Amino acid sequence: MIDLINLSKHFGNIKAVDILNLSVSSGELFGFIGPNGAGKTTTIQMIGGLLAPTEGSVIIDGIDMAKEPEKAKKKIGLIPDRPFLYEKLTGMEFLKFTADLYEVSEEAFLENTEKILNMFSLIDRAHELIESYSHGMKQRLIMSAALLHEPLLIVVDEPMVGLDPRGIKMVKNLFRSLVAKGTTIFMSTHTLRLAEDVCDRIGIINNGKLIATGTINELKHTAQIGEADLEEVFFQLTEEEISL
Amino acid sequence: MKQAAILLNPRLLSFRNKGFAKDRSIRLIIFAGIGISFWAGIFAICYRVLMYFQRVEGIGNILAYKLLSMVLLIFFSLLIFSSILTSLSNLYMSKDLTLVHSLPVPGEKIFLAKWIESTIDSSWMVVVYAIPVFISYGIVFKAGPFFYIDIALTLFPLCIIASALSSIMVLLIVIILPASRIRSVFVFLCLVLVVILYMTFRLLRPERLVNPENFASLLSYLNNLSAPSYPLLPSTWAFDSLKAALIGDASCSLFNVALSMSCAAFLIFSSILIARAIYFKGFSKSQASMARPFQHKKERLDKLFSFLSGPTKSFVVKEIKTFLRDQAQWSQIFLIGALIVIYTYNFSVLPIEQSPIKSVYLQNLLSFLNVALAAFVLISVTARFAFPSISIEGSSFWIVRSAPIPLRTFLWIKFFIYLFPLLILSEILIVVTNLLLNVTPFMMYLSIITLFFLTPGVVSLGIGLGAAYPDFNSENPAHTVTGFGGLVFMIISAAYIGAVIVLEAGPVYTIFMSGIRNENLSYFQLLWIIGSFFTAFLISMLAIILPMRFGEKRLMRGFFR
Repeated sequence: MIDLINLSKHFGNIKAVDILNLSVSSGELFGFIGPNGAGKTTTIQMIGGLLAPTEGSVIIDGIDMAKEPEKAKKKIGLIPDRPFLYEKLTGMEFLKFTADLYEVSEEAFLENTEKILNMFSLIDRAHELIESYSHGMKQRLIMSAALLHEPLLIVVDEPMVGLDPRGIKMVKNLFRSLVAKGTTIFMSTHTLRLAEDVCDRIGIINNGKLIATGTINELKHTAQIGEADLEEVFFQLTEEEISL
Repeated sequence: MKQAAILLNPRLLSFRNKGFAKDRSIRLIIFAGIGISFWAGIFAICYRVLMYFQRVEGIGNILAYKLLSMVLLIFFSLLIFSSILTSLSNLYMSKDLTLVHSLPVPGEKIFLAKWIESTIDSSWMVVVYAIPVFISYGIVFKAGPFFYIDIALTLFPLCIIASALSSIMVLLIVIILPASRIRSVFVFLCLVLVVILYMTFRLLRPERLVNPENFASLLSYLNNLSAPSYPLLPSTWAFDSLKAALIGDASCSLFNVALSMSCAAFLIFSSILIARAIYFKGFSKSQASMARPFQHKKERLDKLFSFLSGPTKSFVVKEIKTFLRDQAQWSQIFLIGALIVIYTYNFSVLPIEQSPIKSVYLQNLLSFLNVALAAFVLISVTARFAFPSISIEGSSFWIVRSAPIPLRTFLWIKFFIYLFPLLILSEILIVVTNLLLNVTPFMMYLSIITLFFLTPGVVSLGIGLGAAYPDFNSENPAHTVTGFGGLVFMIISAAYIGAVIVLEAGPVYTIFMSGIRNENLSYFQLLWIIGSFFTAFLISMLAIILPMRFGEKRLMRGFFR
């Protein structure tokens, strides 16, 4: 579903992402972890078509993002880490806006909206202006909008920021159920516990380079740690990278 | 005071760091050039007016002093008005306030730091542009060096008084109303006031003053001129001080400066005491956002634009809804509406029949100038609404960037959203004013067609250059037009309109004169007329296409950085 080929992004002299090669299969929940400033958000922005790479390419379901961006974007539901929305629209209006943008039919919109709003506990506040929403509510609204057109790929940056424990649990379950239905999820997170709980495979990025990928067990093997959790694997691999 | 100074440090450091950026030097030079030209213009006008007054025997000085007193009153009112707006923003709406209030600093110290910021923000420009007025007085009245020192001594407390009074008003009002609403209400009320004052002035028909019959009331006019100003107004103290300094009476001048200084000191201490009691309470209140439930109505806009494709419709509906729900836009719409009424009213009272120039000729000449004037109205409306429309997306611009539509489509959607209302506005404006001028059918059609082609060009320049020079981080996107991009937009739009008008002027004159003289046009004249109109058409087409492409490229380049 996702193929990142020699992907690089330079900001002046800084190599935010440096020759990154990665493939994520359909129906896989891929966790992308790394320290602050490692290049996670830059990678996510390139996958979502928000940033153009300096070199390399992003292929979504066989479509090159650089060549056919609109076609590729139609397959993605993007959930950024900071919920900036049109504050003067109501939640429902924002969903309608998204539905029209992704050309969701009226019937599908009506059918899906109520279900999604109920799932994210937004149904009672759907007709209020977004400016009156809390941070967590805005985050849930962005998630609702990203799911509305039933994307093949969900790209999510720090999904649990601003969510309450109930929200976190619901999102975890939701991600697993979506993956079970064949949706691919590419998720960047700082919460190692979350990555360990839900991800099929994990990639660790540091200083713009992908330093390891694999299942938890494969990563433990790479880090040469026997019985350890992801946190120890993460520290072992990123510290190794720093000492190198 | 030390804590207040520390709080001011980030602002000073940001200003210093901003000044060091190399790519800003060209902009700085352009802005400085424009600023100096305005400054010199104000000086030149004021100097000429005062020299003219000096030549009027008997009442020359009275007129000059009356003008000075009026300037100071206007100056003080401007300071109050601008201080209210800036202190509202600085004290209650700045982005840094949540951080600042979390620091271990008492509320009144935060208030003091923010008040100093507001005073500088609201006063510097008014002061800079008031100085040439006072300097011209000094030169014309051949004042000594004390007068120039007195300018500083007078202006300083006047700014402090205006700022302190405004901040006290703001501190008290915020306790009653939430800060976010006050600004809109205040701006709206001020605009209403300005428009009412202007309308009253216009309705008095000052153009009648050219009629000598009205000079019968000269004596009462003179009496009014020499009447003293209200003694408790700070602007009166400033006037008395400057007037005394002009005639070399230093003691009287310093007495009035002392009056102003003591009032300023009293107001500063009072505002700090009030801030200690209520500033944090007001700030806390202003942070509580109100839930504003909307009645769930049938989506009329959705139905209205159902003929459009999904992505286009979604942006059109979003744009209209967010525009109409933004209270700040309403006061602007109101102001523009009022200006248009005044603009058209002025045409209805033009004394064309009394002019020594042949009426038909004058009507058509005015109609032609009217095209340029209407186009300049169009530029200002575009600058206020269309130009910031890209920056207004702000932090939500990620939605556009991740949406499955090309950036080009997004820009063209914006173009059409603003084109239709602006086209209707400019056409109504030109038709109504032409009807009032009673122009010939040829001029009517020419004006309508010219504006029909000028409007898309100006809108495209607004959208294209707004996209080329966006500011997604601006707290107030409407202000982006005062930046470099806005300046480029103004200059290019004015040049574009100027070029089209110049290209049309010659042929129109030839056609018009041949009509008056009952002569046929020669082949050469016909060729020239067609060539000129075609060039104007070509420029208009380029004005539509090129800015949009430029804007798209620059905006795209932003992603590649």
